[in-house]
Amino acid sequence: MPLNIVVCLKQIPNPDLQFQIAPDGKDIKREALNYKLNGADEYALEEAVRLKEKSAGRVIALTAGPKRTEQMLREALAKGADEVTRIAFDEPAAYDVGKVARLLAAAIRTLPHDLVLTGVQSDDLVNSATGGLIAGILGLAHASVVTRVESKAGGLEVACELEGGLQRIYSMALPAVLTIQFGANTPRYAPLPAIMKAARQPIKEISPAALGLASWDAVSLPYTFGVRGLSPPAAKGHAEMITGTVEEQAKKLAQLLREKGFARR
Amino acid sequence: MAGGVLIFAEHLEGRIAPSTLEAIAIGRELASRSGGPVRVALFGEKVRALADALAGHGVEVLLAEDPALAEYTPDAYGQAAQSIVESTRPRLILVAHTSQGYDLAPALAGTMDLPLVTNCLALRFDGERIVATRRLLNEKVQAEVEIASSRPIVATVRPGAAKAAGPAPGGIVTSTTVRIDGSKVRTRFLSIERPQVQDIDIAGADIIVSAGRGIQKKENLPLIEEFAKALGGVVGASRPLTDMDWLPKTRQVGQSGKTVRPKLYVACGISGAMQHVAGMKDASLIIAINTDPSAPIFEVAHVGIVADVLKLLPATLKELKS
Repeated sequence: MPLNIVVCLKQIPNPDLQFQIAPDGKDIKREALNYKLNGADEYALEEAVRLKEKSAGRVIALTAGPKRTEQMLREALAKGADEVTRIAFDEPAAYDVGKVARLLAAAIRTLPHDLVLTGVQSDDLVNSATGGLIAGILGLAHASVVTRVESKAGGLEVACELEGGLQRIYSMALPAVLTIQFGANTPRYAPLPAIMKAARQPIKEISPAALGLASWDAVSLPYTFGVRGLSPPAAKGHAEMITGTVEEQAKKLAQLLREKGFARR
Repeated sequence: MAGGVLIFAEHLEGRIAPSTLEAIAIGRELASRSGGPVRVALFGEKVRALADALAGHGVEVLLAEDPALAEYTPDAYGQAAQSIVESTRPRLILVAHTSQGYDLAPALAGTMDLPLVTNCLALRFDGERIVATRRLLNEKVQAEVEIASSRPIVATVRPGAAKAAGPAPGGIVTSTTVRIDGSKVRTRFLSIERPQVQDIDIAGADIIVSAGRGIQKKENLPLIEEFAKALGGVVGASRPLTDMDWLPKTRQVGQSGKTVRPKLYVACGISGAMQHVAGMKDASLIIAINTDPSAPIFEVAHVGIVADVLKLLPATLKELKS
């Protein structure tokens, strides 16, 4: 059976960077950030493309974000997505995962979807909530932290990672939402011709009106949400630092290891 | 009585998850300020003994036993959870932020159209609002967010965010029936799989030298191995390395891998994401080497070195041999 797959992607600030808090305290400073495809979403995209290739299906990559996310969507095209769609939700930070999930769910309703994939978490907000919310809103079967997916007799068999290295295995019916774990596969590199081709492919844009909304502020939510403030985390403790040149640091480290009895001689 | 805090317990193979007791501690603390009962919903089959153990923490345990609940499945547990929320109308629903917890909680919030805040370090009531403390961007930014709603608010709390609840008097077990429509259970439990151990067990090692993304290339692993050997230790890894198959899964330290308590833990090029730290924070001596002075690993390490591990380790090996 050809699978229609929607994979939800998020563009995030590279979390390896250092961050400063914006003057109003409600966001990080965003002027000089570089953005990338969220780590777990790389695995979700790869899983989507592999399942499509096996089933002669189709992959639509979907995001909710500002114009800069087009670069990520072109990357998705180059890596095997057939079509890409951007919900033109311009809030740069989008701290309320419930709102974003409702937008994604509304867009997914308008797309053919046997299977919806997301990464298990975004490395910027670390909610691990988008996939489950979408499943709940759309009334779809779901499984989280998935490390393995196999098509079986009109449904799926999936392995879900638990704590301590255990896996829980389910069989499940389609349509379904899966959140894909890091390491579920080995994401491919985009071949150069595909990158060139992706640069010319269209990006579909979804406006509030397309989802029946007067504006993005008109999303109906059962709550009000606000960011009170961001701050650098109060350090619980801090390491005693060994400073100096590399040679000096090495000397002090070797001395410490000897003193503590860890060096063999 | 409506209001109060409702906690969904997690158990596997006859044991309550430690994170459930932490959630109970947080729930008890919140309820002591805001009033209302603290209830713990426990689903399963023949789990009365677990219910009694939970009641020993001074809470009312709502015990729902059903063959459909013998093993966790998103659909059956989701239906049971919805049924309990409808009958108890809590102000706050607490779930531990575990693989199972963040499977259950967001889907419940989506299904019932409830507000959701996840992976919280702390929660407090502020008038009509709930204020959650969270960590963003690889632990480098702390955020306080607030939610106000007339509906029950669903929150997940990060394992390790609170001490486990101790024993307390006054707990009871109340048997409850939940509605489960078998025709709407689309996920079926098949089995639990365990990792195949054909490797050394790092959990028993006294000295562990762990490598993270900071080693840059698989070709640099021999350097880590040489350093571990010089100290009489074994090589561990952070998740990205085992994901890339640079090292077997058995070497992974962290929440989804091994929890270790060695005498010495050397973190080489590991940033210190929560998932890793959860597995090594109790080591007696932690030495961290990282190029990023703001890396959260320096918060848990006893000794820190801002340096390129690929330069520092060869220099240190030279010192150790001299």
